[in-house]
Amino acid sequence: MNRQFYKLALSVIFTFLIPMVILAQDTPVTGLVKSVTDGSVIPGATVSAKNQHISTLTDVNGYFKINVPSGTVLTISYIGYLSQNVTVSGSSPINVVLQENINALNEVVVTGLASGIKRSNLANAVTSISAKELTGTAPPQTVDNALYGKIPGAQIRANSGAPGGGISILLRGVSTLQGSSQPLYIIDGVYLNNNTLSTGRSSVTGAGASSQDDSGNRLADINADDIDKIEVLKGASASAIYGTRANAGVIIITTKKGKAGKTKVSFGQDLGFSTIQKYVGSASWDTTKIKQFFPASRQALELQRYADAGGKVYDYEKILYGEKPLITNTHLNISGGGDKTTFYVSGDVSREGGIIKHTGFDRNSLRLNLDHKLNKWIDFSVNSNYLNTNSDRGFTGNENNAGGTLGYIIGYLPNYYNPNPVNGIYPDNPYSENQNPLALRDKAINNVKINRFIESATANLRFIQTEHTSLKLSLQGGVDYLNQKSKEYFPEDLQAQRSTANPGNVILGTESDINTNLQGFLIYGQDVNKTHFTTQVGVVALQTQVNTLFGQGRGLVASQQSLAQASVQSVTQSSQIVKDLGWVGQEEINFDDKIIGTVGLRLDKSTLNGDANHFYAFPKASVAINLTKFDFWKSETISQFKLRTAYGQTGGLPPYGSIYSSLSPVITGGLIGSVISSTVGNPDIRPERAGELELGADIGFFKDRLVFEGTYYNKHVNDLIQDLTLAGSTGLSTEKVNAASLVNRGVEVSLTGIPFSGQGFTWTSRILFSRNTSKITKLDVPSYTTGVYGVSYGTYLIKEGYSPTTIVGTPQISPGIYTVYGNSQPEFQSSWYNDFSFLNGFSLTALWDWKKGGKILNITEYNTDNGGTTPDFNTNGAARKNNPTAANYVQDASYVKLREVGFSYNFSKNFLHRVLGNVVQQVRVGLSATNLLNFSPYKGYSPEVSNFGSASAINSGTDLFQYPPSKRLLFNLKVDF
Amino acid sequence: MNKQNISKIIIYSGLVFTLSCKLEAITDPNNPSITSITSNATIGQLQNLVTGLEATSKNYLSTSANAFGTFGREIWFFNSADSRNIQYWLGQAQVIPDATFYGVGGAYTGPYGAIKQANVLVSAVNNTSSVTAEQKNAYIGFAKTIQGYQYLVPANSQYQNGIRIDVSDPLNPGKFVGYDDALKAIKVILDDGYAALNKAGTTLPFKLTAGYTNFNTPAGLAKVNRAIAARTAIYQKDWQGALDALQNSFFDLKGDINSGPAHVYGGPPESYNPLYYVLNASLSSAPVVHPSLITDALPGDSRVKTKFFFRTAPLVNTVGKVPLSSQYQDNRWATNTAPIKYIRNEELILIYAEASAQLGHTDDAVGAINTIRKAASLPDYTGAEDLNSLITEILFQRRYSLWFEPAGHRWIDARRYNRLNEIPVAADAGAVFTQLATPTSEINWDNFINGK
Repeated sequence: MNRQFYKLALSVIFTFLIPMVILAQDTPVTGLVKSVTDGSVIPGATVSAKNQHISTLTDVNGYFKINVPSGTVLTISYIGYLSQNVTVSGSSPINVVLQENINALNEVVVTGLASGIKRSNLANAVTSISAKELTGTAPPQTVDNALYGKIPGAQIRANSGAPGGGISILLRGVSTLQGSSQPLYIIDGVYLNNNTLSTGRSSVTGAGASSQDDSGNRLADINADDIDKIEVLKGASASAIYGTRANAGVIIITTKKGKAGKTKVSFGQDLGFSTIQKYVGSASWDTTKIKQFFPASRQALELQRYADAGGKVYDYEKILYGEKPLITNTHLNISGGGDKTTFYVSGDVSREGGIIKHTGFDRNSLRLNLDHKLNKWIDFSVNSNYLNTNSDRGFTGNENNAGGTLGYIIGYLPNYYNPNPVNGIYPDNPYSENQNPLALRDKAINNVKINRFIESATANLRFIQTEHTSLKLSLQGGVDYLNQKSKEYFPEDLQAQRSTANPGNVILGTESDINTNLQGFLIYGQDVNKTHFTTQVGVVALQTQVNTLFGQGRGLVASQQSLAQASVQSVTQSSQIVKDLGWVGQEEINFDDKIIGTVGLRLDKSTLNGDANHFYAFPKASVAINLTKFDFWKSETISQFKLRTAYGQTGGLPPYGSIYSSLSPVITGGLIGSVISSTVGNPDIRPERAGELELGADIGFFKDRLVFEGTYYNKHVNDLIQDLTLAGSTGLSTEKVNAASLVNRGVEVSLTGIPFSGQGFTWTSRILFSRNTSKITKLDVPSYTTGVYGVSYGTYLIKEGYSPTTIVGTPQISPGIYTVYGNSQPEFQSSWYNDFSFLNGFSLTALWDWKKGGKILNITEYNTDNGGTTPDFNTNGAARKNNPTAANYVQDASYVKLREVGFSYNFSKNFLHRVLGNVVQQVRVGLSATNLLNFSPYKGYSPEVSNFGSASAINSGTDLFQYPPSKRLLFNLKVDF
Repeated sequence: MNKQNISKIIIYSGLVFTLSCKLEAITDPNNPSITSITSNATIGQLQNLVTGLEATSKNYLSTSANAFGTFGREIWFFNSADSRNIQYWLGQAQVIPDATFYGVGGAYTGPYGAIKQANVLVSAVNNTSSVTAEQKNAYIGFAKTIQGYQYLVPANSQYQNGIRIDVSDPLNPGKFVGYDDALKAIKVILDDGYAALNKAGTTLPFKLTAGYTNFNTPAGLAKVNRAIAARTAIYQKDWQGALDALQNSFFDLKGDINSGPAHVYGGPPESYNPLYYVLNASLSSAPVVHPSLITDALPGDSRVKTKFFFRTAPLVNTVGKVPLSSQYQDNRWATNTAPIKYIRNEELILIYAEASAQLGHTDDAVGAINTIRKAASLPDYTGAEDLNSLITEILFQRRYSLWFEPAGHRWIDARRYNRLNEIPVAADAGAVFTQLATPTSEINWDNFINGK
């Protein structure tokens, strides 16, 4: 890029900066806008004159005043309500009562870095989730937990049942063959850190890499009650403007703002408990089984133990996973303001225990969102959020050191062993895991504390604001600073620790991450006759930094948790810094809301690429046609008919360090050495590139009481980064290369409607359906298998012509070729949401979530087979144990779940006025439940676990003694003052 | 200031700012780059590569000792969390080694990683002027000596499937060569290293760890080199070659049978001795002594006491096809930082016995056997002195003297004399493998290149 180019670009932009002024004949008209639901006034509603570019907003009391000639048709619109047209006759006041709109076609959808677009003009299937949809039925534990069944095209998976996050979201299939395929999260313009941070747990349990730490993803820190809405840009065609980090889609979170008017105080309290969804059970034992199971040298002792137990058996699942912990969530928010300044302040304290004793997740959140109009042409806003979370996730999942996780211990424990402590002394476990599970639960620590600030500031400078022309400079900056302190601790008196050379193990970690982003956009709007042009150019800069320091101490002084109290101390430290820079240009042409076309281009560079200074271009183009807006459209039945198509490209950055060929440090015999890293860096590595074509139709019937949305997409991802697996004899393992392509094709359908609305009874319903298929279309590296624990239990095959989530395993068919067992991707997903409002204030909502197909690898069962404890071990388990093939453990993970159900009552205004005077505006009480009913053929605790978390898009769906998932039941109270 | 002026200032300063934004590449903040040593490496950098080579030369050990030890039924590897150390390694239920066979990768990539490290060291030495020609020979001699040892590990496990010898260019690895050719090539590498060490002066230009105490001179390393050459020679059935190599090694019929170079271990940030397990502890993942070593032992053999620890409670294994149990665990390591010798005078004496027997020098063979027996507190050998009887006796002594040593002996020895069927498998309902399958990465690479 040279300066000539910029000069040219500048001159093009400034040519548009010609102000145009048209004067109109005015008559002042006043009016009042109210809501049909509760008769309350609506401040901030838009009142615009049809076919004229005059508009105003209602004030804090719902009144408006507009200067238009008599006979003008005014359109009154407000987010969440159906628009209404009224004709001005003379200067008589106009009273408008707006009906709630479930489809919100007029709401502005945030789709770009500095702009939004009316839903009815959108050329993509962007899913919007309102606060009501997000948290209205049942208060969610974390934001992502609240997205189940609400986004067609999203595959959501809870990697673990531990409270406090650990959820992965896949939008429109797998977008990368390496690393996680998690969407980019933007909260109020800040690039949100949703990383899953390492804690060191897998070091103390010996589980291996930090992907097996079972940490929560850091979206868990965000308080869902603060969210006003969420927009989901699922594919490259919608998210192209986000460029090089948007291959897996973008999720845009907007938090609540204050509204001018009376200060509103809202208090909410949730109180309830959670309980395990399902017990798996355990096989019984008798003397015959003991004789078969144990070697001769052990049988006498074991028979004696069995006899000593005297027929008493212990249900370890109930002992360990049987807690019914308290959940409390208290939130208070105060919002309001005047004409110039509005504010939203909120505080939230939530405490959620886990179904395993000593586990839980606590969150404290404090937020201030402030908006101020400095003068007629400058406004700015500051959003400030402090978050503090504390999570104890306990010890579950994989382990390779003795007795590192609860599931492993009880998986190998015959049920006649008594684990209960006597006078505070935990009896030793004489079986293979060598750890008393209760001692592990009660004495070991796995704690993570987060302190986090998410700050953003926005300023809009409106240089030109006339009826037909506007020019705005929009500046934004954001910081997401996160500090994690983690502690992993196995005290020296744990049984398995006593079997090591240096008993006692503590790992103390500190990680501080800073994401900083800055952007500036010039947005120029111009009307030419009936066509509106919106031109925008902008620049975006992002920097991310990660700094970690872990200290480990082994051989601890009794009950000490400090590194200084360890006989063997060691540290590991690493840092990462990444910088991105991007340019954006976009032109939107709106012909009278009939045809809306957009073209755009993003140019991006990043230090993660081989050439840090090379711009990669990501173009986009889209068109939407609103057939019903044309004069020829006569049908009354079909109130909206939009055809839309969009194409766009996005990127996926190479993993950190792909460009480096390093010499790793090693210390031996007191000398420090440098070792050739087995992974070879690639100085030519490029970003992965997705190109997606999306076609769709949105059809509304009966004044949009029934709306159908259908979308087909075809998303190609090229230049996929692959590990070129070198021949093992070269002494090197892999080199990162751009060497593969895949395609995701799918359909997404939604049907939303009000089947019945009558006196005192309204039924709203929504059905979502989506299906995605993936295929690797090109692979320029040798075919390989990846993930899980190798072919013996099932692993993933990466091969041209196959889906990247194909599961293969033993037996081998020919050298290096293994048996195909299925696919971890579901055949389809569907959800059904119903909302019944009745008897003036009662509401019943329910969300069903259905996943058909998709297999997971039940390695828990493999282990319990070896431990003789699988529920069906005595009939089938022994046969599986003696003939181990992956066929035994690749299992169907379909499910139907009642994700959310809520029943609430809104006390009537009259009642409140009578009893409490004018102090209380609204009181709602309710009962809600999450995951109340679960149906699945899957034999384990949950069909949606993943031992490896979201570290890899491919390597998901491994069940290995994860924290069992729970269902939650809550009493909810909400009072508005 | 009016609106226009503010606007202009903001727009122009914004544009100037963004136009001047250039992203500089960020160098790796955590590690030096490999390019830092490819030319004109300093003595300090070469030292780092030498220490790196010493460190990587240990990487094979845990896998090869445990896997090959299991194949030869020197041990069983009990692992309560993963039955594959039993089911797969013991060949239960007709399991045979396939291209991604469980848990053996480290005995392939480990040695080749060290070979790569040695190649990089040699190339760094050849592309720097910071050391003299004589000093260069010391680096090269050490590198090639280590390479010779490391090549033997995959050669012995892959056996007739063969290995690659020419692996210096990662994108153009050489062809596979059969076992015999591989051994020939290894001999050449060792001979080159020996020649270099003989021209390397009297002192080393680099530091080695305490594992090379008594061997940390060019002459000392040359003795280590010849010891490895002697081991290679008996695999080649080059009996005279073995005796010749022994003469220039640290072989000493009257010396300490335990003398020899070692891999060293330490507490973090160094790595622990991977064969150390706390004695008598309740262990859920540990190698145990195969019971046949106890039942087959001659009365009074002191190696039983010194090498095998008698536990109060047996270790049991209930994963896999049949339950297993052993009362004994490895008793050789006093601490988790104890060094592990990778070739010892005791082995050289046994090589001497074997080569002598094969060459018909019966007295020499019996004398060496008696040296070993005496060290084990056993009476002199009184059995038949025909070749077959002597070999049987030597293999028996090797089973105890070289029990569970790093590169694996029993499995390879039994195979050398077509006695794999003597390895006891009845107790574990398993089978004995002849060799491992060529790893997937190799098959895939060749398919990939051929398909191009």
